[in-house]
Amino acid sequence: MTMPDSLYGALMLSFVDFFMSIVMISGIGVVLALFPLLNRLGKVDEKGLREGHH
Amino acid sequence: MIEQFFAFLGALADQTGLAHLWWGNLVMIAIGCGMIYLAIVKRYEPLLLVGIGFSCIISNVPGSDLTQPGGLFHYAYQGVELLIVPPLIFFGVGAMTDFAPMIANPKLVILGAAAHLGIFVALIGAKLLGFTLHEAGAIGIIGGADGPMAIFMTVKLAPHLLPQISVAAYSYMALMPLIQPPVMKLLTTPEERVIRMKQSRQVTRLEKIAFPIVIGIIVNMFFPPVAPLITMLMLGNLFREVLVVSRLAKTAANDLMNVIIIVLTVAIGSTMAADKFLTGSTIEIVVLGLVAFVFGTGSGVVGAKLMNLFLKEKINPLLGSAGIASVPIAARVSHNVALEYDKENYLIYHAMGPNLAGVFGTAISGGIMLALLGVK
Repeated sequence: MTMPDSLYGALMLSFVDFFMSIVMISGIGVVLALFPLLNRLGKVDEKGLREGHH
Repeated sequence: MIEQFFAFLGALADQTGLAHLWWGNLVMIAIGCGMIYLAIVKRYEPLLLVGIGFSCIISNVPGSDLTQPGGLFHYAYQGVELLIVPPLIFFGVGAMTDFAPMIANPKLVILGAAAHLGIFVALIGAKLLGFTLHEAGAIGIIGGADGPMAIFMTVKLAPHLLPQISVAAYSYMALMPLIQPPVMKLLTTPEERVIRMKQSRQVTRLEKIAFPIVIGIIVNMFFPPVAPLITMLMLGNLFREVLVVSRLAKTAANDLMNVIIIVLTVAIGSTMAADKFLTGSTIEIVVLGLVAFVFGTGSGVVGAKLMNLFLKEKINPLLGSAGIASVPIAARVSHNVALEYDKENYLIYHAMGPNLAGVFGTAISGGIMLALLGVK
């Protein structure tokens, strides 16, 4: 189903899009909040990476 | 003999562009010169305005074949129309950008969506002015302040409006230091403007490497319509963060980016032919673009103030306006406005968080819009 090409469609599109954008970006925020947990997996040897780059 | 001479001269003049010159061409040539003037004298986005201005001038010289098949400007435009150029810009931007401020402070990410109310105000305004819903969507996305995304969405939704929308988007991005501060000051109190932010945590290399991979998966899974752009942004960023392909990262961030900027700017300028550009709808789009930027700035600031109602540790509401995607211009504006009130309040790092989130906010809004409009 797509939005009707009318003012009603524009209002619906705007409302749904804005609301969903906030929900989705909040979801990304939640994922980012979990990122510090990655550090429990170990540490990347930055110096080694820099020295060995091509 | 003399009659024949003048007849020959007349025929010769007919074959030059002079016979087809009209006042619209002169207006557009003046606009092109104005852009170059702003770039050189005022230093407004010279990387963009010099190329756009020059190709705008050339495209309005009647007789110029550069914008016709066989001409280089024409093929530059093909790169935009076929959506090759916008993902490559994102690739270069990814290779240039450190996403650590966004990773370090996830709660500010929401400002990347809050500052996009302008998109929808402009969309509804465009519909009220009689544009189709697809055209209104393309016009609205100017409010995302993300040039490549505006081009991407316009090519998908209303390709005939590409010159007006790309020029409005890039012009307003250049003018953000003039547009945003009055709105930011209007919506904040002097006490709010001097709120200092706590220093962010250190982001490790592992997190920086994981970020583009995780976001690449999320975007392709949930927002396939805009995945080409964000995926390339993430690939560029992965090149930067893994440290083992620094040659490629440098190429993407510098040489490739420069080539793409040249292609993009001449492509945009070449679409500014007077007969297509000097229309009533251009003025409407330019006004709607300004409305989108003003409301986007305002909604970002209000969004930050709303967050403060729930946060123990208050955030500076000036960060809200940085949620508009234009990186790093909007973050710099937040920083500079804060400095006006407290010379030691350095907001730039904190402002980069919502600013980078704004790129995702615009992409998400665009992806949802394309899905709702049934466009692939």
